[in-house]
Amino acid sequence: MDTIIDFGFVKVTAASETASEVCLVEAARRGDRSAFDGLYRKYARMVHGMLLARAPASEVDDLVQDVFLSAYRRIRTLREAGAFGGWLAMITRHRAYDYHRQYREVVELPDDRSPEAVAAQDAPLAEARQVLAILQTLPQAYRETLVLRLVEGLTGPEIAEQTGLTPASVRVNLHRGMKLLREKLERREAHA
Amino acid sequence: MPDDYVWDGSGEPDPEVERLEKILGRLRWERPAPRWPARVIRFPRPVLAIAAGVAMTAAAAWVLTRPAQNTWQVARLQGAPVIGEQRLRGAGRLAVGEWLQTDAGSRAQLQVGQIGHVEIEPNTLLRLVEARWTNHRLALKRGEIHARIYAPPRLFFVETPSATAVDLGCAYDLKVDEAGASMLRVTHGFVSFEWGGRESLVPAGAACVTRPGVGPGTPYYQDASGEFREALARLDFDNGGEPELGVILRESRRRDVLSLWHLLGRTGANDRGRLFDRMAGLVEIPDGVTREAVVALDKEVLRLWWEELGLEESGWWR
Repeated sequence: MDTIIDFGFVKVTAASETASEVCLVEAARRGDRSAFDGLYRKYARMVHGMLLARAPASEVDDLVQDVFLSAYRRIRTLREAGAFGGWLAMITRHRAYDYHRQYREVVELPDDRSPEAVAAQDAPLAEARQVLAILQTLPQAYRETLVLRLVEGLTGPEIAEQTGLTPASVRVNLHRGMKLLREKLERREAHA
Repeated sequence: MPDDYVWDGSGEPDPEVERLEKILGRLRWERPAPRWPARVIRFPRPVLAIAAGVAMTAAAAWVLTRPAQNTWQVARLQGAPVIGEQRLRGAGRLAVGEWLQTDAGSRAQLQVGQIGHVEIEPNTLLRLVEARWTNHRLALKRGEIHARIYAPPRLFFVETPSATAVDLGCAYDLKVDEAGASMLRVTHGFVSFEWGGRESLVPAGAACVTRPGVGPGTPYYQDASGEFREALARLDFDNGGEPELGVILRESRRRDVLSLWHLLGRTGANDRGRLFDRMAGLVEIPDGVTREAVVALDKEVLRLWWEELGLEESGWWR
């Protein structure tokens, strides 16, 4: 049975997903903001995950906005409407690269809450950031694919479809990346 | 495969992967789309404008003088559709003026020149009216089609006995019954339903009904309440009046301003004032839009409000 894809304002079957995305891109090119919303809904996790694999977590929210604004302004320059995912992935990688080129030291603002309140409220998030920090030490290809899979919840076929990577590459990256990540997590637990 | 779970979530769950999904999923991106800025249209400098004008004229002349493509390709999807009097076994072509018919057990797909395709459901009768580069036109006498068009607006038209569907890009379903009434459901983009100077703009997720002799009714979102839709149908086609308008105003939600906006041009001045008041309670009134101007049906003000509603950007097709 075909999967139902929900763009928020339109539901289509997976069989016609590619055609629908072409429609969304064509409409967005003409200035239809709701169509660009549809593209955002589909690709926001990919962009967030790719940036999370490349930039400090505290900077990623702003970078996601930058990437989509840039894509929104430049969508008329996209030659092939069907190539939106790969094009957006390229913009994302360039934005992460630019970020590191113009790297500025990030200064964390002091937290007004009591240390106990911070610990209680932020513990789950802190745990997630600790694991992410370990994940970020993996080689780039494994890191990106694993963030998309484990953080953003995309499946391997979805990662391939959205980023333009081949399914075989994604599968290898997931398999080898998980192996390396397990080893690193075991080492951390052994030292704890 | 041992890594099936990490690949696509199938197979036996890997406890370690599940644990990591749970921990790392807390960082998942869940934010809604921001409001995108309106596009600024930059007009070209005079020299560029002249050059662009010459190029566009030449391109238009080439398009208009290009030999017309007089047939469209048809593929059988199921059963044995009929073109003219010929049963279609595999693929065939539909010529301008010819009829294509499906019975209860047949379906077909029609290639719309080079700009899209139409799937034809059982018990459908349609004719190819025009097959020019600037005018791709079908007449749907009865039955149901699903159109998907990848082209600039106003290149693909479907005439029905009670209105013409004008594609503004790019996917919709259209059904015509034996009495000539039709139902349009837009699944993506926008469609304009037109008849005798009456026009309904139907965005994705919305529908519109037509009746012979009346033309298109008021478009509505398909998730509107039953009471809202029934009142709208009575107002459009069954001499509905004050009670129906009362129900519509009471039942309308924010997105139903689509219907209320259309009703502005189809009601009297007093009712327009009530519609304005209800719309003002549902959406923000943009600068430049006043109650007086709306009640007076000031076209520029209505256009401005339509654009600010964000249902689409009308500049590119109007």
